[in-house]
Amino acid sequence: MSATVYTIRDSIKNLPKNIRSSVVRPVEGTQEQARAAAVFGNVFLHIHPARVHENSLRFSYTLGLGLISFYLFLILSVSGTLLMFYYTPSTQLAYHNMKDLEYVVSFGVILRNIHRWSAHAMVACVFLHMCRVFYTGSYKAPREFNWVVGVCLLLMTLFLSFTGYLLPWDQLAFWAITVGSNIAAYAPWIGEKIRFVILGGNEVGQMALIRFYVLHVALLPVVALILMGIHFWRIRKDGGLSRPAAE
Amino acid sequence: MHVAKKEEIFPIDPNKTYSLMAIVEGDSLQVDKDPGDTVSSWPNLVLRELLLFLVVGIAVVAVSLLFNAPLEEPANALHSTNPAKAPWYFVGIQELVSYSAFLGGIVAPAGIVLSLLFLPYLDRNPAGVGVWFAKERRVATTLFTVFVVSMLVLIVIGQFLRGPNWTLYLPWK
Ligand code: HEM
Repeated sequence: MSATVYTIRDSIKNLPKNIRSSVVRPVEGTQEQARAAAVFGNVFLHIHPARVHENSLRFSYTLGLGLISFYLFLILSVSGTLLMFYYTPSTQLAYHNMKDLEYVVSFGVILRNIHRWSAHAMVACVFLHMCRVFYTGSYKAPREFNWVVGVCLLLMTLFLSFTGYLLPWDQLAFWAITVGSNIAAYAPWIGEKIRFVILGGNEVGQMALIRFYVLHVALLPVVALILMGIHFWRIRKDGGLSRPAAE
Repeated sequence: MHVAKKEEIFPIDPNKTYSLMAIVEGDSLQVDKDPGDTVSSWPNLVLRELLLFLVVGIAVVAVSLLFNAPLEEPANALHSTNPAKAPWYFVGIQELVSYSAFLGGIVAPAGIVLSLLFLPYLDRNPAGVGVWFAKERRVATTLFTVFVVSMLVLIVIGQFLRGPNWTLYLPWK
């Protein structure tokens, strides 16, 4: 057998093909194997099993609500990152930044609208997703723990939305957060202390704004993302989506 | 479409090495079963997911083109809005707080979260899993519906029927 000769000429001639096959591993095999490889050979798809049960595809079963929640989270992450370029968490500047988004920044209003409406939609969809999981009995063994992870995700979604609510620093934001954080103060003994920790003071001010901002753009999204990772991993480890017992 | 035989999907290969991923008690959903009721994720599942992403993206952009997010006067700690309302998802709790601060503001939310957390460990009968509103689960379904409907009613009252000083008023007045 003669050894392969590597020439620059061949390398250049085959450049596109070689680059392609270095990124996407070529699969030889049956159609089924190629399809399976398309899923587990791709880092973004490999969260899926190679094959899924037909019941999991029924839109009327899941109503797609979990996935819609996840998509809204992605849209919120991207639009939120863009908003961060224009926003300063300061009681002096925050409101002006909002006005600038409306009147100065190109497509600033739409960016802000996308972020705001997706946030409301996400709260609603996560709640509806919980209802679908309940009404289909999908929290029964072996999925108990994933339900618990889900409840934590619901709380994260609410906290994310609540912390974001303060950031525009308008009357709506200020008084909604005042009312909301006052509720925490009704807890016996430690109520006032809890509110002090949330607000970094006794009332909503600069300290509260910076706390809410850091929670909103750093801590809570990271925790939510980790919980989602666990949530999705558990779906697979629990044997895919729930379905009626086979006869 | 060409339907694969078992041997094609799982070729017998003496060199194959296996690794243990997890031990699950009871019947595993896949072991010893044909891939009969399953379909390949690509393209069946993944294309549907991408389609859903398009729908969600279009819906969000459409709504954002039509409606502007609210922005009121700059925050003023000396001049309270009347009524001051929490975000809509907490307005139901605020409504309860107006009856009793401690029961509505602390006991009810804590009770809801704790019941949700413990629910799967208390309601363990597997009958009716995988079916919407299964007959076998009528009690659970009813209780949960009562919970959801009362949350919604409280939110609607708080959001639309409460005027200055948290008095009841009709939105069209
Ligand atoms: C940010 C929030 C959440 C995201 C992104 C999310 C995402 C998902 C996705 C994509 C699925 C796959 C099936 C489907 O689309 O319905 C799923 C299933 C599931 N989710 Fe969630 N979820 C969230 C919150 C929740 C909540 C609040 C609960 C319950 C309290 C929950 C409990 C479950 C359970 C038990 C399953 C398995 C359902 C089954 O096997 O049929 N999740 N989730």
